[in-house]
Amino acid sequence: MVYLLRSVLFAVVLMVTGCGDLDQPSNPQVEGGEVVVSFDQTLMKKTLIKAGAADENTTVFGYTAYKIPYVTTDEEGDEVAVSGLMVVPTGLPEAVTQQIGLSLVSDDHGTIFANDEAPGVIGEKTSAPDGAAIILTALAGFVTLQPDYIGFGDSNDHYHPFVLKKSLANATVDFIDAAKTFATANGIKLNGQLFLTGYSEGGYAALATLQKIEKEGGPEVAIAAPMSGPYAMNEMAMGVLSQPELTVPSFMANVGYSYAKAYGKVLTDVINEPYASKLATLFDGSLNRTGIDPQLTTKTVGADGLFNPVIVNDFFTDPNNWFKQAMLENDVHRWAPQTQVRLVHCMGDDVIPFAISQLAEGTMKAYQAADVSIVPVEIALTGDPATEMRLGHAECGKYAYGVAAKIFGEARYKLFHY
Amino acid sequence: MKKLIVLSTLTSAIVMAGAYKIPEQSVNSMALGAAYIAHTTDADSAYFNPANMSFLDPEVNYFEAGITLAHLPKNNFEGTQAGIPMPADAESEIENLPIPYMHFVMATDNRWRFGMSTTVPAGLTKRWKTPIQKLYAEEFTLKNVELNPVVSYKVSDTFSIGGGIRMVYSEGKVYSDGGALAPIKREMEGDTIEWGYNVALAWRPTEDVAVGITYRSKIDLNEEGQANLYLSGIGRQYDASVSVPLPAALNIGISKTWNDRLTLEFVYERTFWSAYETLDFEYGTPIQPALVGAFDDPKDKLWEDTNTFRLGLTYQYNDKLTLMAGYSYDETPILEEHVSYELPDSDAHIFSAGFKYKYSENLTLGAAVLYDKKVSRKITQPTGINGEFSDGGAVLLTAGISYRF
Repeated sequence: MVYLLRSVLFAVVLMVTGCGDLDQPSNPQVEGGEVVVSFDQTLMKKTLIKAGAADENTTVFGYTAYKIPYVTTDEEGDEVAVSGLMVVPTGLPEAVTQQIGLSLVSDDHGTIFANDEAPGVIGEKTSAPDGAAIILTALAGFVTLQPDYIGFGDSNDHYHPFVLKKSLANATVDFIDAAKTFATANGIKLNGQLFLTGYSEGGYAALATLQKIEKEGGPEVAIAAPMSGPYAMNEMAMGVLSQPELTVPSFMANVGYSYAKAYGKVLTDVINEPYASKLATLFDGSLNRTGIDPQLTTKTVGADGLFNPVIVNDFFTDPNNWFKQAMLENDVHRWAPQTQVRLVHCMGDDVIPFAISQLAEGTMKAYQAADVSIVPVEIALTGDPATEMRLGHAECGKYAYGVAAKIFGEARYKLFHY
Repeated sequence: MKKLIVLSTLTSAIVMAGAYKIPEQSVNSMALGAAYIAHTTDADSAYFNPANMSFLDPEVNYFEAGITLAHLPKNNFEGTQAGIPMPADAESEIENLPIPYMHFVMATDNRWRFGMSTTVPAGLTKRWKTPIQKLYAEEFTLKNVELNPVVSYKVSDTFSIGGGIRMVYSEGKVYSDGGALAPIKREMEGDTIEWGYNVALAWRPTEDVAVGITYRSKIDLNEEGQANLYLSGIGRQYDASVSVPLPAALNIGISKTWNDRLTLEFVYERTFWSAYETLDFEYGTPIQPALVGAFDDPKDKLWEDTNTFRLGLTYQYNDKLTLMAGYSYDETPILEEHVSYELPDSDAHIFSAGFKYKYSENLTLGAAVLYDKKVSRKITQPTGINGEFSDGGAVLLTAGISYRF
């Protein structure tokens, strides 16, 4: 009976209604990627004024972000399908977009844990401008390249190789190549000028990228301005492991987790239970830092600490300890860059000490680097070498990006006069 | 975009009675302004009072079908929208819509009798092309088709009961577009099949007096489908759902017939619109944060139950010709603070007239016209609409045939 009624009703319904599902959104089509954000100049300016980031006199550009899939290589040498966000300014004079071309800034993002925090994912889920690209693209007019890294975006099922220089550099260099191909395919004119930057883990990744490019060959880099990165991994680890308490346990837990994975070690030799068994789930991209930290201990070492006391003891006493060797292998400051490097860092950094950049500067100079110097953010902001202003790691980011954008803008103006 | 075109051209939804319910579903009911509960005389008894099927000629099968052409003139709005420093004067789009119906009552040789109706019991479509109104309701359409099998049981020669199962197929469509005012846009389409029931009784205390009471249950139309939500031209698709009630309604009718020629019927209808408390779109995954306020936060409706008073007059002019006329006063369920562009409803005066012509022993032809005059309504909302809605309403023409065999 029900079947009969349904059949009769269906016939009537067909007379008066349609059928089928709603079509997919009619977004602009591009070759080799997907438009995920599109704010024209007027809307972008209105948005920034409302957010207090600009006023009526500020020059603001439009913002079109593309999510681009590409392939890179992980620590194990295997190919991985990954993604990144390319943010292109709009509303620039035609002389720039059609003749001179746009300059690129490769911006490696800082430490994240949740997949939703990756640039490509944010763009895809919010359809709105976000993060450093607002400074670099909407305010400074650069094309910003933000790789999601292995472990986030399209490769969320892969572990993230946290502060492991080989795969971070691969993900960055391969994205620069992919973005150039995308630009050519879609009529976005570039001028060949490339800058490298990134904050925190991204600062580390930027310097790792420069090292890879100079060592293996690649696109010419005009200036690298890594910001507040843990360039000296061995010294960072020594500093943190010698403290009884961890301010942010997720950071060091992630180092232990990803290094054990990358070097094929047993995780429980590095991280104690019950934490070791939790880490695969905690770092699967579903949680952010505030969701992870409460599930870990803040005690650094010991039977009830986060780290296995055996390996920590070896780390400090045995120069051949694999963890120590891995840290040294992943340092990114013991070489001599021939590109201009500006180490942007806040003197008040409470997570990655300012001294790490001082160490990196000194070490690279000792290796005969061509042009390396530190740019203390507080001094750059105030113009006062004796300023007492101090900015912590979290609050420093947006100011550091402003300083980097100014450095890059001056270099661009010198060459292209815009 | 195939479906969008189909939906735009083959719609069966109108605004007519209070809010989005459509009581008139036959020539008789259209001509009498739905003052047609106690004294129902044809196949449409299956819909308007199934208990009355017991009092139709038991040896006859009754069939009736027809179509209503609804013309919805423009809604005019003169006024402003809070927060937008420009006049919001606008006219909604004119709608011309076909609404089919069909009723059947089967002959019987016992106290039970079976019938069935296919109707469009409710509907709504409102389209605006002006910028401010498009932001809220570029198009808001709710379409329903009901299949209603019913039975009656003749308890005695003067008393009968009836009831049935209501199966409602519904489609909803919500489009809004901020255009130059705000960089946001929504396209949502969904559908559902829902179930309800109706019960009725008929009492004939004397040969010339009839009493009828009917109750149709509330049906929650839980429209499920997809929504495309755009921010600044870039859209994402989500699984989406929204629930809109088809309210319960109680009808009480009493009629008196003089000399077998003139029948006057009064109907009181109580529609339980208070079931419509919020319009709350739900999504399968979190939507773009910038769109939450516009497209995800629940919107208060807080409608009120309404009263409708209907009066219908039927005059048997001769053996072949029957003349009918009706008047109704129909309250709106929508409080001033919750009036919106998708349904700028107001109280209405409804005038109707029609005729039936007995072409042969078996075949009767009929036609009716109904004019729904919406009262102009001034709206003052501190954070919303400020101005006056006028015109609107509807003109409906129904043509149908009844066949007895």
